[in-house]
Amino acid sequence: MHEPVYPICQPVLDAPLLSIRRVFYRYPDNTRALSDIGLDIADGDRIALVGQNGSGKTTLIKQLCGLLPPTAGEILYKGKRLEGEYLDRHRLEIGLLFQDPDDQLFGHTLLDDTAFGPRHQGLSRQDAEHAARQSLQCVSLLEMAYKSPHNISFGQKKRAALAGLLAMQPKVLLLDEPTSNLDPHQEEVFLNLLKDFSGTLICISHDLIFLYELCNRAVVLDRGRIQHDYTLRELVSQRQALRQHGLDFSFRLVHTAPSCDPTQSKPLEGTHRTPALSDESEQRSLVILRDYYYRYPDGTLALHGINLTIHDGERISIVGENGAGKSTLLSCLIGLRQGFGEFRFAGRLMTRRRRKILWQRVGMVFQDCADQLFCPSVREEITFGLHQLGYSRNESRKRLIHALSLVRLEGFEERVPLHLSGGERKRLALACVLAMEPKLLILDEPTAGLDPQGEEMLLDILCNLDVTLLLVSHDMFFVNKLTRRTLVMHKGLILEDMLTHAFLQDERLGNLNELSYTYRRRSTDAILTLQHEHEHRHSHRHLHSHQHRHGEVEHDHLHEHLHEHSHRFVHSHPGDKDNHDHTARHYHSHDHPNHESEDHDHNH
Amino acid sequence: MADVINIQMPLWQLSLLALILFSAIAIVVVLLRCIAHEPSAVGEDRDWSVPSLADGCGTSLLHRWDVRCKILTILVCSFAVASLSHLAPALIAIGLSLIILFIARVSFAKVVLRLLAISGFVGMFLVIMPFSVPVHNGDTVLVFNGMDRLSFNLRGLLLAGTIAAKAIAIALLMEPLLSTAPFPVTLHELSRLGIPEMVGQMVLLSYRYLHVFRHEARRMSWGMQVRGFRKRTELATLRAVGNFIGMLFVRSFERTERVFDAMRARGYRGRFPEPAELRLQAKDVVLAAAWIAVVAALIIYDRIV
Repeated sequence: MHEPVYPICQPVLDAPLLSIRRVFYRYPDNTRALSDIGLDIADGDRIALVGQNGSGKTTLIKQLCGLLPPTAGEILYKGKRLEGEYLDRHRLEIGLLFQDPDDQLFGHTLLDDTAFGPRHQGLSRQDAEHAARQSLQCVSLLEMAYKSPHNISFGQKKRAALAGLLAMQPKVLLLDEPTSNLDPHQEEVFLNLLKDFSGTLICISHDLIFLYELCNRAVVLDRGRIQHDYTLRELVSQRQALRQHGLDFSFRLVHTAPSCDPTQSKPLEGTHRTPALSDESEQRSLVILRDYYYRYPDGTLALHGINLTIHDGERISIVGENGAGKSTLLSCLIGLRQGFGEFRFAGRLMTRRRRKILWQRVGMVFQDCADQLFCPSVREEITFGLHQLGYSRNESRKRLIHALSLVRLEGFEERVPLHLSGGERKRLALACVLAMEPKLLILDEPTAGLDPQGEEMLLDILCNLDVTLLLVSHDMFFVNKLTRRTLVMHKGLILEDMLTHAFLQDERLGNLNELSYTYRRRSTDAILTLQHEHEHRHSHRHLHSHQHRHGEVEHDHLHEHLHEHSHRFVHSHPGDKDNHDHTARHYHSHDHPNHESEDHDHNH
Repeated sequence: MADVINIQMPLWQLSLLALILFSAIAIVVVLLRCIAHEPSAVGEDRDWSVPSLADGCGTSLLHRWDVRCKILTILVCSFAVASLSHLAPALIAIGLSLIILFIARVSFAKVVLRLLAISGFVGMFLVIMPFSVPVHNGDTVLVFNGMDRLSFNLRGLLLAGTIAAKAIAIALLMEPLLSTAPFPVTLHELSRLGIPEMVGQMVLLSYRYLHVFRHEARRMSWGMQVRGFRKRTELATLRAVGNFIGMLFVRSFERTERVFDAMRARGYRGRFPEPAELRLQAKDVVLAAAWIAVVAALIIYDRIV
């Protein structure tokens, strides 16, 4: 019998930098958030703090920088209890990066904001400004030092917020979802900045591929308790443990052709330019944009002569860097912005007066679903749009039940949307749109802020929808899974209109559009190998040599005897089959007869 | 004591008068809008790596002036202008404000935006007051076709003109007050003049987060719009708007807590660091004294007229 080897590491440290001892925390409403947390963190540790939405990760890092005092237990920093005067003095050595950079950029200009921390560390105005400038230089924002935070892009805000912490030269960096809503290029910039940080780093993220590049240790939180403390390699290689805690992102690692497109309409080959439309084709088109322009009120041209045709039943993705014009295009398609040029929906020319047609037949799930949830109950939330469009109570009720079942939220009718988890809120926002039975469904970054379990469920729901789909995402896995056609946008232009499959294989487009997917591919391959690599030990005979003693004589020579030691195996999944192929590559230093025919009790 | 002078006029001239008044106001507003929204030569292309307002070494006399002296002098000047009671001194006050604008070399488009902001209020005075001020002895009143209740009192027009002139003179001074020093410095110096420091901090943070809340409100409003929401005169609309405001409040409240946490995490303990080290010099006091002397002369002139 083969027994798998799962080395669990709970490092024993003589003098940890941070030490959490039996910490409990309850929210003011008495909800338990953390239970019996014990953790030692060494100087230079790089810890991935992972867990499902609501598992207590953010609460824990707030404890670590003294923003929330524990209800019971203690937190030690450099051996002393982090409280009172000691906390005030040493908090400045612990930097916390918030999920939303707007929370953190409260300064009048980027320079003011970045110098805020150093000034509180006691530096003079000149020295603080010098530190701030160096830090801004580090994140490539020095040329914007005197710009107001509300006048810069989201990616720049994230980097500016990090600059504010780096200027304080912290010993510990706590990061809460540092890469959420960033495009791949910005994500890689951020990753490189964090790699250069030499201190202790604790990072919360649902993106285990990103964490794999950054961290070496993984702490898994589940319902306020630490469930595991591994090396990150061990965490990502153990699918069973990942699945147990709702973190299994392995569904992302299988490279397959898009499998979810129920339409599988006419085959497209390579680059697909919008052709001149025949009458018949025009009748079949759901959306037609011809020479469409949009200019912001400040005069900036956001869309430059967009030509786009979307046929009924198509599944299309739009990709591009932050600021490429994707969201502006979506807001034009749904009638929130009015540009110049021809815009037809289902053959009818869309004008400002006819926008109501769009709101009836085009549904959009916003990037931040909080922007479209405002009612006191799930029932009211879903029926809001139906009432606005004049549907009867019976019809509304029927659609409510159907929409809830589509997104697997049956029985949630009386729940308060504000109190739902991130994944549930996202599905609720989708239900609100689906209840209106749109002809065209638009999804703007649907995976933002979701944990892997939520992502997997959302993917499954979206795969089963029979609707024309327009997806805007930086998530190439979702793009690959959900769409067959991809539009590549850059600076307000549609650069390419091609098969998703062809896009994903085109390295040139990635570089052109600053959408670098290289590190993700590299990490994905490494994790895939790890997940298919395992050690097991069992007794067997083989010829080998080692030092041993025969009476008085000590020597080594080749001999065969029964013994037990670990073997590391790598197997593959040929194609997309569930069966394992062990025979192709197994790494043994010696022969291992009958290995494939023996029982294995480890999971794949 | 002089009697009221009634000038009888045909009714069509009332329409003409109203048309002239509305047209004049509309033309002024349109002109101001055109100026305000004209693409600026500076615009987005400016170099953001250098400050627009270097501390204490700006491009004009007002930029170099001590901020406390500037705040005090402009506030005194504003109250003095508000106390004027005649049109001529009020017009002179506008002239003085324009001279200060010229010296301060501030953005004319921003000044116009401020004027636009008060144009509705000022326009309302100009339209309503001639028809609504009580008739006193010596007033000249235009009466249309014997309609005594709808008489146009020229003293009312003069009074409205005086109020409008004072409002414009003060509004013109606000740009030199707020744009010739970094906003945090102005607020900090206000606190050194006795305004509670917490008020200054709140104003500064409100200014920063107003943009964030505006964007949040717009996105939420879009979220309602794409689900077919239109404002109607019905209970359901009131309920939806109530939910919208409530949710905006909840989100704003949660953000406030997060911002406060972020400030504490970076060492905030109730005080913002001093944004600038400014020292009061004799020339600052002399400049303030000279300006206040001019304003005093204006008040004396107003009393004499």
